Amino acid sequence: MKINYKKIACLTFAFAVLVGCDDFLDVDSRENVTEEDSNQNFEPVQFVNGIYGMMTSWDYAFSYLGITEIISDNADKGSSPGDPGGDKGLLDGLTFTATAGSVEAMWTNWYKAIGRASYSINYTENYGLTDVAYKNRLIGEAKFLRAYHYFFLVRAFGDVPLQHVDLIVRAPKDQVYDFIEQDLLEAIQVLPEKSEYAPADLGRATKGAAKALLAKVYLYQKDWQNAYEYADEVITSGEYGLEPDYAQIWRANTENGVESIFEVQARGVALAHGVQQYSETQGARGPSGWGWGFNTPSQNLLDAFNAEGDVIRRDATIIFRGETLYDGREVSNAVENPMYNEKAYSSANAGAGDGDKNIRVLRLAEIYLIRAEAANELNNQDVALSSLKEVRDRVNLGEITTRDQALLRTLIWKERRLELAFEHDRWFDLVRTGQAAQAMQANGKPFEVGKHELFPIPNAQLIQTPAMGQNLNW
Amino acid sequence: MKNFIFGVFVLLFFQGHLHAQDIKGKVLDENGIPLPGVNILSSTSSSVSDFDGNFSINAKEGEPITFTFLGYVSQTVNAAANMSVSMKVASTELSEVVVVGYGTQKKTDLTSAISTIKSDQISKQPAYNALQSIQGKAAGVNIIANDAPGATPTIIIRGLGTAESGRSPMFVVDGVITGSIANLNPNDIESFDIMKDAASSAIYGSNAANGVVFITTKKGKQGKTTIKVNSFYGAKSTLNPVKMANSSQYVTFFNEKQAAIGSPDRLNLNQPYNTDWYDELTGVSFSQSNDISFSGGSENATYYFSFNNYTEDGLLEGHEASRNTLRSSNTLKAIDGKLKITQNFSASFSKSTPKPYGSFTEAYKQAPVVPVYYPDGRFAQSFWNRTTGEVGYIIGPGETGGRLNSIGNPVANAFYQNEKNKMVELQGLIQADYTIVEGLTATSRFGATKSYSKTRIFNDVRGRWLTADPIRTSAQFAANAASNPGVVDWANNSLSYKDVESFRYNWDTYLTFNKSFGKHNLNATAGVTQERKNDIYESYMQGFNVPEQEQYWNINLASADYRKVANQFYSTPTQVLSYFGRLQYNFDERYYISGTIRRDGNSIFKQNSKYWGTFPSVSAGWVLTNESFLSDVKNLDFLKLRVGYGEVGNANVPFNATTINTSPGTDGGAGINNNNYVFGPNQDLVFGASSGTPVTDLTWEVTKEINAGLDFELLDRRLSGSFDYYNRLNTNAILNITPLLNSPNELNYFDHGGEVRNEGYELALNWKDNISDDFSYSIGVNYARNKNTLESVKPAYDGMTGGSLGDGQITKRIQEGQPLYSWWLLEADGVWQTQAEIDANPHIGSPAPGHLRYKDQNNDGVIDDRDKKFFGSYIPKFSYGININLMYKNFDLSVDGFGVGGNKVYNGLKGKRIDGGENIAEDTFNGRWTGPGSTNTNPGANRDALSSSYFLEDGDYFRINNITLGYTFKDMFKISRLRIYGTAQNPFLFTKYSGFTPELNNSGVPRETAGIEVDAYPNIKTFIFGVNIEF
Repeated sequence: MKINYKKIACLTFAFAVLVGCDDFLDVDSRENVTEEDSNQNFEPVQFVNGIYGMMTSWDYAFSYLGITEIISDNADKGSSPGDPGGDKGLLDGLTFTATAGSVEAMWTNWYKAIGRASYSINYTENYGLTDVAYKNRLIGEAKFLRAYHYFFLVRAFGDVPLQHVDLIVRAPKDQVYDFIEQDLLEAIQVLPEKSEYAPADLGRATKGAAKALLAKVYLYQKDWQNAYEYADEVITSGEYGLEPDYAQIWRANTENGVESIFEVQARGVALAHGVQQYSETQGARGPSGWGWGFNTPSQNLLDAFNAEGDVIRRDATIIFRGETLYDGREVSNAVENPMYNEKAYSSANAGAGDGDKNIRVLRLAEIYLIRAEAANELNNQDVALSSLKEVRDRVNLGEITTRDQALLRTLIWKERRLELAFEHDRWFDLVRTGQAAQAMQANGKPFEVGKHELFPIPNAQLIQTPAMGQNLNW
Repeated sequence: MKNFIFGVFVLLFFQGHLHAQDIKGKVLDENGIPLPGVNILSSTSSSVSDFDGNFSINAKEGEPITFTFLGYVSQTVNAAANMSVSMKVASTELSEVVVVGYGTQKKTDLTSAISTIKSDQISKQPAYNALQSIQGKAAGVNIIANDAPGATPTIIIRGLGTAESGRSPMFVVDGVITGSIANLNPNDIESFDIMKDAASSAIYGSNAANGVVFITTKKGKQGKTTIKVNSFYGAKSTLNPVKMANSSQYVTFFNEKQAAIGSPDRLNLNQPYNTDWYDELTGVSFSQSNDISFSGGSENATYYFSFNNYTEDGLLEGHEASRNTLRSSNTLKAIDGKLKITQNFSASFSKSTPKPYGSFTEAYKQAPVVPVYYPDGRFAQSFWNRTTGEVGYIIGPGETGGRLNSIGNPVANAFYQNEKNKMVELQGLIQADYTIVEGLTATSRFGATKSYSKTRIFNDVRGRWLTADPIRTSAQFAANAASNPGVVDWANNSLSYKDVESFRYNWDTYLTFNKSFGKHNLNATAGVTQERKNDIYESYMQGFNVPEQEQYWNINLASADYRKVANQFYSTPTQVLSYFGRLQYNFDERYYISGTIRRDGNSIFKQNSKYWGTFPSVSAGWVLTNESFLSDVKNLDFLKLRVGYGEVGNANVPFNATTINTSPGTDGGAGINNNNYVFGPNQDLVFGASSGTPVTDLTWEVTKEINAGLDFELLDRRLSGSFDYYNRLNTNAILNITPLLNSPNELNYFDHGGEVRNEGYELALNWKDNISDDFSYSIGVNYARNKNTLESVKPAYDGMTGGSLGDGQITKRIQEGQPLYSWWLLEADGVWQTQAEIDANPHIGSPAPGHLRYKDQNNDGVIDDRDKKFFGSYIPKFSYGININLMYKNFDLSVDGFGVGGNKVYNGLKGKRIDGGENIAEDTFNGRWTGPGSTNTNPGANRDALSSSYFLEDGDYFRINNITLGYTFKDMFKISRLRIYGTAQNPFLFTKYSGFTPELNNSGVPRETAGIEVDAYPNIKTFIFGVNIEF
């Protein structure tokens, strides 16, 4: 009996040592499918979709507002006086520094989007797609989107590193523009027109979008001839037209409509996907409100509309306290701020986290204005005036007839402001046209010439890569 | 209380009986309390004293009889009729046995740093979780309490050694490895043995870097059945409430702010409401515990059985936690005592209904002019009429309205939180020890824990929507729902169930060899262990629009109009295989040397080339008092020096996300990775993907530690104590790294990137003395000092920020040379008095007079993040405890206190403001800037919302944890011992901190809000009346 127990004890011990060999550590993965068990690879289109997905991020609902509109004379910070909205108050007052969170967020966001685009171009090229047109289209979409994001970077920061070349050394502005143009020209070659896409692909980058963006890129470089030509090609392509009613342009029923050249897609359902809180951050704040009340129209903008007698665009752009909106929603007198951005308003799910607001990025009216401006610089005042007329007729404003190049130039600039208010164009346009110092100082903001034309390289980036160097005077 | 009465009835039927033999007598302890289970030997016979200390033995009168009992000095007394023998406690704490890994050891033989806490210390401070009871009782073991019902306190041993990996020590309950002891009834615990240094804990290898806590549960002792009943009833309230501004102070403050920002709107001076939100939100709450245990045994078998019911509710209405535990432990000896089988099993059934801690923050900030309810019974919100200055949501024609602040109604928030958790935890151990030959024992034990938990959350979506704005109507909600079919934001409610099952086991098999050859004493242990953990099944389902009545809360009854959510997964378990050995040798109990080695293989690192690791330790000791030259020194009873070195690991490391990011399923990617998108006229979802983070090979963190200490007993063993110095270095701490901003890599990733050093010393002193037979006392103090430093950070890895306040403001940063995640803030430097002063000096943004002024640290003329500086850490530099016990006749009195110091805490309640319409503490009101020259310390009513050193305060505190007064009745009726007592838990707190509690662990994650008071549960004081009965 005694011996038996002894044996059992010994055997137990021996057994424990035996099972205690290495294969005990081979544990099968259960929650994630491992590489060797996975039959499916990622399709190239998924990586391309991922670039678009970047544009629905939270940064576009807050930081982006700060550095495109709140900073300008069109908009104020809004919200409660005591709520700084991170650095929105500093941007509004032009007292922000290199540590401003909004600048850092967009710098990072744009570079990450560029990273996604480059990754998907490589992936698509090497994946072995047999449908060459499809493959080229995907690459074209990615190139369009890469150009779109570099265009932001070069406008905001001037010389910037080209991600595929070096992460520290800043490429001169011209080289960045060259790269943008190259991407867009290649995209134009391979992208289908809007009408050539299958319905399920509505919203993808098109040939027209690439041309429209390229026209705008040339405009920024004062390459009038090219700006003119590409704008003209878009206008005469037969793909686009103007919405008859200006007020409808930012509503749900005109999403991807006749005027739309490129826009960020959104569907306000949590289970699907929407642009993060774009409508909520800019929604009316307080009783009866639905949002945070940031990025509110400024008195300066209201005055500009009124001075022009521009009632239609004023009322389509601004929600006034106490107003009843087109869909019957009553904005009570109890809301916190006197005005809100109507272009950000979503009727269906105003304050929802996953918004349904498609953000219009490029639309035909702007292309008319690009053609007008380029034509005027090329001393082709006929086209300039006729282009301008297209835009003004829709909003019942009188025809402009002056052929004075300098005067016409400023009238076109003014038209851009009123037509494109709150479409994230104002600040870059002010800087491009050289009006920034005068306009901002007139608005009581301490614009410093030689400094504020560019945003500072984010301090957090300089901590990581001090050799990159800061922009002048920052 | 029902349980208690039931227990008493049960016991009345129980009766001991004696066998008449020649000599009868009684064994008592020094305090005259009967001692059961004492072994009594005469020349011809043996016996054991019974439950009442009575014994009888076959012996002749005058024959020497020997009395032996573990922990007492053996005595030989001549037999006499009705003799009474008083046994003296042998201890000296140093003669106690402590649990070490895979074995036990005499405390005198230890060569490493282990702290022991016994059951009497634990039961004196009743709590849901026993960790709360040991706060302040062991030097270097820092317990951060959380007074919420059923909460688990945090335990940090010898400083914070890691930024990202697990911070909790390993728990070993009677040999069962577990991650938490929330399932244990504190009254079932016999002792805590806490391995603090690597020399001792290295036997647990890659799990031991945060220390190892052994818990030994109570076992039956040889002798008659002992029945113990413990019951208490307690009432709890907030220990350290903050006095908030009242309505009229608030109105003054608000109107000053309005004037300062140039707004013409004012609140009326006479407001109809003066709401004390804390008063409305919180109330006195109660706790009670009843337990009963049966224990006893014979020579070959012992048993212990207990049942406990513990119930407590929280300050917020409806916040409750309860737990029932059953425990049974048995030992059996067979084959002439060579085989010993130990079996124990415990089951714990717990329930809780949590409420949001965010309500405490809201109660701080919501304006007192806002009522809890509007006259129509709806929850009020902070709306006001800017034109009339009245608070309320009615805005007449031509009038404008607004919100005083964006804070919700805290009472409503607590009301709408509807969550119910249930958990069943089964834990068991079976162990066999077989003595193969004298001195050689084989042991095999299998310990396992299975747990089931269920969480139900009901969210009244419509109710919350209606509450958020009183002008909203149900009809509007219905209209929205109709125009947004399938959109869950407009479902009336949502209901979810989450079920989690988890299982873990460890199977240890080892040999122990124990032999003395003359003066050479040798002890060796070697074995193998395998462990499986993280074996989790989880399912989650959610439905919408269920009927409102709770009885119908089934997902099956959810509306078909909304897509139901079903998620389920099995986790990949972790398996660890280990070999270990320990060799201990001492010569003549004078010179000690000990070495351990552990080799661990871990399945989670299998993809790395290096998934096996070796963790050695070595330690030595020298008992000077056993040397001839010191053996006769008067008043020096014991003195030992010891020194040790060990290497331990932390395998509980975070892992990097996959290299390809996708967000399939329901989250849609919004706000997570933003991978997905919609296309087409119907905007159909398409899935996207993006490349993620760099692939970095992660392995366990390795901590190396040296420890040197001494133990002593002086003055006739009345003064005992120990001192330890340690220096531990986590040699490859994992940090959370942000990739270059302009690189394609999107997600932060983890990589080994720095070293974390904790260096400090610990001192424990204990004095005890018996003044007379009636009066004895003891005083224990302990003190621990620790310095935490982040060293040798990889160049690009420095400077990660943390401590986000959730409003865009951050408060912490890691930097080489600083403690982990130190405070990093603008330095408040007075208050702007005039606009001229602002214009003439560097400032941030567009401040107004009355705003805080900040120091331009880098003298570049602007104030921004580059002017932030380090302000120390939330981690205490020192902690101390004091324990006083007095026994006078039948009275016992004890006082325990605990304190920490050298740390800073951030008052997020005060500092985190958005609209300027939040309420303030009365002190804030009284101290505010009111105009040039009024104060240069505190900002005015119009203030900015930047995080700065202004809100950082000393976190030092000293708290009386426990004052207990008890009285013991002996030998009443059938009851051998009955003690009644009253306890005041946390009656006093001494701190300069201006918030509710300086004990602010929050999630415990250094990178997050540890040390920041925001959504924190206040400290609680509890008054307890209880009774202990022994039959």
